Amino acid sequence: MKATTPRSGTRRVATVVTALAATVALGAGCVGGGGQAPEETSTKGAVSKDTKGTVRLLMEGVPDSDIVKELVPEFTKEYPGIKVEIQTLTYDQIRDKLVASFQAPKPTYDLVVVDNPWMYDFAKAGFLEPLEGRVDNTDGYAYDDFAEPLRSINEVDGHTYGVPFYNYALGLVYRKDLFAAEGIEPPKTLTELQAAAAKLTTAKRAGIAMQPQRGYKVFEEWGNFLFAEGGRIHDNSGNVTLDTPEGRKALSAYIAMYEKSAPKNSLNWAFDEAQRAVSSDKAAMMVSYNWMLPALNKKGSGKFAGEFGLAPFPGGHQVLGSWSWSIPANSATSDASWAFVSWLTSKQGEKQRVLAGGAPVRTSVLSDAEVREQGGAEYYDTVRELLENSSPLSEGANGEEMIQAVGTELNSAVAGKKSPAAALKAADDEAKKIRDE
Amino acid sequence: MSFRYRMLLPLVALFLAVVGYPLVNSFYLSLTDYKITDRANLSVVGGRQYVDALTDQGFWGAFGNTAVFVLVAVTVELVVGLALALALQRQRRLRNLTRGLLLAPMFVTPIAVGLLFRFLLNSQLGVVPAVLGSLGVSYDFFGSGKALLTIALIDAWQWTPFMVLLLLAGLESLPSAPFEAARVDGASAWYTFRRVTLPMLRPVVAVAVLIRGLDALKVFEYVYATTRGGPGTETQTLQYYVYQTGIQFFRMGEASAMGYLVLAVVLVAVIVLFLRIDRQRAA
Repeated sequence: MKATTPRSGTRRVATVVTALAATVALGAGCVGGGGQAPEETSTKGAVSKDTKGTVRLLMEGVPDSDIVKELVPEFTKEYPGIKVEIQTLTYDQIRDKLVASFQAPKPTYDLVVVDNPWMYDFAKAGFLEPLEGRVDNTDGYAYDDFAEPLRSINEVDGHTYGVPFYNYALGLVYRKDLFAAEGIEPPKTLTELQAAAAKLTTAKRAGIAMQPQRGYKVFEEWGNFLFAEGGRIHDNSGNVTLDTPEGRKALSAYIAMYEKSAPKNSLNWAFDEAQRAVSSDKAAMMVSYNWMLPALNKKGSGKFAGEFGLAPFPGGHQVLGSWSWSIPANSATSDASWAFVSWLTSKQGEKQRVLAGGAPVRTSVLSDAEVREQGGAEYYDTVRELLENSSPLSEGANGEEMIQAVGTELNSAVAGKKSPAAALKAADDEAKKIRDE
Repeated sequence: MSFRYRMLLPLVALFLAVVGYPLVNSFYLSLTDYKITDRANLSVVGGRQYVDALTDQGFWGAFGNTAVFVLVAVTVELVVGLALALALQRQRRLRNLTRGLLLAPMFVTPIAVGLLFRFLLNSQLGVVPAVLGSLGVSYDFFGSGKALLTIALIDAWQWTPFMVLLLLAGLESLPSAPFEAARVDGASAWYTFRRVTLPMLRPVVAVAVLIRGLDALKVFEYVYATTRGGPGTETQTLQYYVYQTGIQFFRMGEASAMGYLVLAVVLVAVIVLFLRIDRQRAA
């Protein structure tokens, strides 16, 4: 092989250096311009029916978004001048798209849906329009009708930055036939839950499908255990309180149940896997979102459709998630956006959405005769119970980071890499540091 | 300006726009506390972000995971790749077909490969656990102590063909005289491989390992598609950590500083290796 001269060697090194610099620099992140929008509160309530404009809307690709799409023609009948264009993406993609649109001089979206851990940061950053003026001046809107825990997620520094779209309150989904066969009732305490899971565990079926995946999932599930033990994620002043006797007890109970009653090799399981296990007779219970129940029980959805029941989580206080409608501060058609949101989230709009299969957020819809007739009174009573007594994973700044940090420590404990005490101490320290940043 | 310099202008312009601007801008960001959700209070903090990154356990944990990943993945790729290249060199029939099939994994986008293996290895749906299960073996591919190895093997599945391609080209360009001499002297196949083939192939091996090593350092998609850095922080690699810090947690300044630190380490490694290769060639 031909030997290279020092000169060509140097040139080659220079080439590689340049190429690498380019590659890493592109990965290191380049950030564009765009101005911080001023925070303005519009007092405009009901929007005139002859308003014109196109509302570009970004949503997550989930069944609730499909329901909204189906309702758009109804809205357009009332507001013929407003066109609603809905784009759907996966959960992982939407936040990045939203942040880019919020900062652009010409936004990509005029109306958005915001997940609860993002609300505080987006509001503080000036990305969203305060809505209390619009809410107060829209006749018959009845904002107090939305479940209180959902409303409080959208309140930042005394302003309302979103109105609830649908809820993610967790409950215990269980197989009624298996419970009846064993003669057991839905558990009221963690001890009863552990006993039920152990009793229902057979060679072919796990007692409970758990979701210890790092990040959101394990935190969401463990949060319910924490509440059941009488602990809280935040104290009354909003400070994180994870490293407590209740927290340690809850984590030990969680790990014990995972080891004894969860499917083997499920350390990385999340929602999909647990759902599949329960619907295919591989597990008898799971902690899941309340609105999963109609889907599991829908005729033709599986062999065990109709056999699933929903109960509040033992202890009666559950972890809550929510999505809310928000209008970006740089929205090109904020009035038309409010027209659509206020129409869809009005008492009547909410009823239509829930009848089509959406997850309820207004208290009035839970007692509506037509809704109860269709979905089952027992189910809506349980949902009301869940919504009334629930708390989100995150309150305050840097929610996403706090959830990831705590969820990583919890997952380490379930994986046996850290003791519950060490994991909670680290989780507590990190969460406090992240909050203060 | 002479004609030949004018001819260079389009390249220089493109280079400045595509490489220069991001490079300079991200360096500037690395000296500030830039946060996407708090742009009004931007202040220049000098080298603080670098100190923070260097004293951050998470960063060093990710560094260690990445190093183990690169080491395992590239070693497997080299050993398997070399074995396949030697076998292919001797193949007489259907050579093009075999080579074409063997190279196929390289042309699939890494995120698709990650998702593919996420389902293949899924304990409920996956064909691999199902087959193992029928043999009475229970193995959690994404369990504690195993997930990083699984991800390294996914990388090996996709990129061993690349190694084969380079090594095969190297093998086929070797002069035949030393091999004939070895045969005449009665050297065994293993002795010939060890004392004739490997020493002559060394420059190609070095380049192949370098290119694959640098590429493997950028591992992100497999982690994103399968474990999201878990269990615990076992599969949290550098790129995933930088992504989380900058994009997920909005701290662009800190992420830029981490990016530059990775760049510094990689540059030192590349320069040292290239100088050594050049010295060996010259010798």
